[in-house]
Amino acid sequence: MASKVYEWLDSRLKLKTVERTLLDEPIPGGASWIYVFGSATLFLFLLQAITGMFLALYYAPTPDHAYDSVTFIENEIAFGPFVRGLHHWGASGMVVAIGLHMLQVFLYGAYKPPRELLWMVGVVLFLITLGFAFTGYLLPWDQNAYWATQIGINMVGTVPVIGDLAVRVLRGGETLGALTLSRFFAVHVLFLPATIAVLILLHLFILRCVGPAGPWRGGAERRKSGESEEPSYGLVERRLRISEPFYPRQVSMDAVVMLAIFACLSLLALTVSFPLTDKADPSDTTFVPIPEWYFLFYYQLLKYVHGPLEPLATWILPALFFLGLLFWPFLDRNPARHPAARPAALAAGTGFLLLVFVLLGISLRDLHAVPRTDPAVARGKALYVQFGCAGCHRIHGEGGAVGPDLSYVGDTRPDRDWHLRHFRDPQAVSPGSFMPKFPLTDRQIGDVTGYMLSLKRPT
Amino acid sequence: MNHPEQQDPVTEGRDELAGSRRTFFKRVTGAAVAFIGMGLAIPLVGYLVSPAFKRRDQTWVEVGDVADLPVGEPKQLDYLQAVQDGWLTTKLHKAVWAVQQADGQVTVFSPLCTHLGCGYRWDDPDKRFTCPCHGSVYDLAGKVLGGPAPRRLDVLPSKVEHGKLFVIYKEFKAGLPNSVEL
Repeated sequence: MASKVYEWLDSRLKLKTVERTLLDEPIPGGASWIYVFGSATLFLFLLQAITGMFLALYYAPTPDHAYDSVTFIENEIAFGPFVRGLHHWGASGMVVAIGLHMLQVFLYGAYKPPRELLWMVGVVLFLITLGFAFTGYLLPWDQNAYWATQIGINMVGTVPVIGDLAVRVLRGGETLGALTLSRFFAVHVLFLPATIAVLILLHLFILRCVGPAGPWRGGAERRKSGESEEPSYGLVERRLRISEPFYPRQVSMDAVVMLAIFACLSLLALTVSFPLTDKADPSDTTFVPIPEWYFLFYYQLLKYVHGPLEPLATWILPALFFLGLLFWPFLDRNPARHPAARPAALAAGTGFLLLVFVLLGISLRDLHAVPRTDPAVARGKALYVQFGCAGCHRIHGEGGAVGPDLSYVGDTRPDRDWHLRHFRDPQAVSPGSFMPKFPLTDRQIGDVTGYMLSLKRPT
Repeated sequence: MNHPEQQDPVTEGRDELAGSRRTFFKRVTGAAVAFIGMGLAIPLVGYLVSPAFKRRDQTWVEVGDVADLPVGEPKQLDYLQAVQDGWLTTKLHKAVWAVQQADGQVTVFSPLCTHLGCGYRWDDPDKRFTCPCHGSVYDLAGKVLGGPAPRRLDVLPSKVEHGKLFVIYKEFKAGLPNSVEL
């Protein structure tokens, strides 16, 4: 039955020609696991598109309701946390997949002529993805979303001449509010998807025009080294010589990777929760927002650059970086593709990655030490009051002097595990202590420990 | 390559994958697509339809003091009810008709005519409820006296605690011979 329908459609629409065009794309040098990252990125994009559409079923892009609607998805809707989790982790996954895809293309020198345009469209796609990340971050309208976006927008303000105007345009006025949220929403779900869809098609169209780059050494070169009587082939001919169609082997590899990605994201969505912080409160300026992990290295960089040099980090370096990335095929004039023949490019790439990962590492380490307004701390503080801890302990002059002063206990005893064990059984870690064992649940112990660790000297 | 140059270069690889290997790759692809498809379809359909299976929470709402109800004469009681509409909580103005019978029992009627859902009134001189839309008439017990009404007035669940009257507000389908809750 299905084949009869297909035959009927084919006789009108020439489907078999389309099918052959799509599936018989030659993969120079044969299918390989190293070529999966592009398809993986596309898969993640489609997953984001689908989960995003479903999130939009219940989401309301107004400051009055955005937070409540996201909470509603989390608490009231079947599979709500799963769908939101897939979208959340999928965003991270997409950044990872693009990173690996670019890394592979860079390592293989696949951006070199005739594939400069393919690379450039790819860089623009990467920028659009970051645009998605930036606009999407505001939508839950919690404290973190609000203040992180505030910082992101303010950085745009450091650009000379157009900075002020750009900030007003981004916010839709003087302040970050209703107009900001609705325009971020519109850009996130309408403008950017339309743009990225066109550019993805362009990216694939250019790929089909210039063909995949294949291994470092083309088939003819490899054969030449084995059988010296073989003639040298032209570029296209060489590509076709030793190649394998896209279907079925490369397709099956891509599909397996997609399944693995889907399994990982599902697992993350089901097991790792990422609770909302409190509802955005524009008057609470004490909140310290934390950006997504893929912006952390940059967040760390900003900490090192102050005063007159600040614009360097807020826009000059990023602008130069993306311009350099965009025009990289024209900056790197070395025609060789083998990594061993490209020491300068490889050194530049490695240097950049090292910098990113070192900054990311420092940032992650610091994050654990930075006190931030964490809901757990507030809950811990409430427990401190509820259980009458101040009867024995003193914090900043308030409370009894029977037990140790806790004003700076986060500095004097920063060991989280010690506190956890201590609350479970004070005498086990502190023999002779007469602190009672309070009937606390594990979560309460975590909260009150969070509060203890937040008691630090101001830095 | 085992095959000589005269082979069509594009289909060269395909020939190599003839038979079981080719089938294997097809099956792997099919299985992966099926797993992803099911893994997405089931949660997404559940996500889509879940509000359709949610019943509105029905809670007792205090509508007034029983002492304020005159015996044998209906009184319309106005009150505000918090209604949860998805993520939106709204206060809705509701009005029900309450009658205290001679034995102290209180009956609470839904304020909508059973014919097409208009709001009816108490016609004091004639001691009966009349609907202004199509002329349905009910007596004090809610029984139909005339007009197109297909059934008696709908009775809402009510209870009296410490002299306060509580009701659960419900709506019923109009035009049916029996009370069917919406």
